[in-house]
Amino acid sequence: MDAFANLPVLADSLLGGGPDNLFNYLLLAGILFALGVFAMISRRNAVGILMGVELILNASGINFVAFSRFNGHHLEGQVFALFIIVLAAAEAAVALALVLAVFQTHRSIELDQVDEMKL
Amino acid sequence: MSPTADILFWMVMAVTIASAALVVVAKKILHAAFALSICFLGVAAIYVFLHADFIAAVQLIVYVGGIIVLIMFAVMFSSHTQEAGGEGGRKVLALGAGAATAAMLFTAIMLIISRLQQPLHEANAFATQAYQHTAGITGQDLAAETPRLGLGHILMGEYMLPFEVASILVLAALVGAVVIVRKETRG
Repeated sequence: MDAFANLPVLADSLLGGGPDNLFNYLLLAGILFALGVFAMISRRNAVGILMGVELILNASGINFVAFSRFNGHHLEGQVFALFIIVLAAAEAAVALALVLAVFQTHRSIELDQVDEMKL
Repeated sequence: MSPTADILFWMVMAVTIASAALVVVAKKILHAAFALSICFLGVAAIYVFLHADFIAAVQLIVYVGGIIVLIMFAVMFSSHTQEAGGEGGRKVLALGAGAATAAMLFTAIMLIISRLQQPLHEANAFATQAYQHTAGITGQDLAAETPRLGLGHILMGEYMLPFEVASILVLAALVGAVVIVRKETRG
């Protein structure tokens, strides 16, 4: 845990040069990721779970772009962020179609009421 | 960055995190959807801070213009089903499990970041150096040197195959979405 203990020191030393540093972007992405996981697990509404997935995908996109920028302005990270956005769009379209299909059969999108396949 | 940009960065970061938290805790799913759109706007601003202007534009068009509309549509479609308040024990269990998992993963991420101390300093020094390198360049030169051009070249060159595969995937996903929704209405 000693590495974890010097986190405030690390943040302080990095913040000396203004907020535009890698640590801040990684921190933001970490917070978005944790909130997305929280939403995915605690929400029962299917659309709420989808929102959690979108938060996680956004966090990964920020990470890709941040690492590519702080690694000598290579563009590969931005390309990957683009692909993430494309995949998120495709995933959202399919997931919302599934939500509508579930709603048509169950008149509800609370996922704990959709348990026919549970043993 | 200038002091104004610093303040702007902190504001964007605070708004993004606050709206993401609202997505998680909002009682009504419609409020969560509105908060999610604010969060996507914040992430687009973060992309601008990262000098990724094209990604920021795509984020605005695809997320705020597309995915949010889809989510709103799904929410409106099923809005009369309120977030069921029953079974308080299970609700507390779900919240506890979610909070515990999220806290654990966040701790792990921060642990890994704090191990990165040396590379972080090098990366920041490198970015500062690169920024100072572009400091004397006029706006017109910067527009010519902006990464958008390189991004287009890379997408049409090295990443041509993934690009085309992604387009086929999007087509298949949209056709699949139509098929999934139609199947139930036909019978």
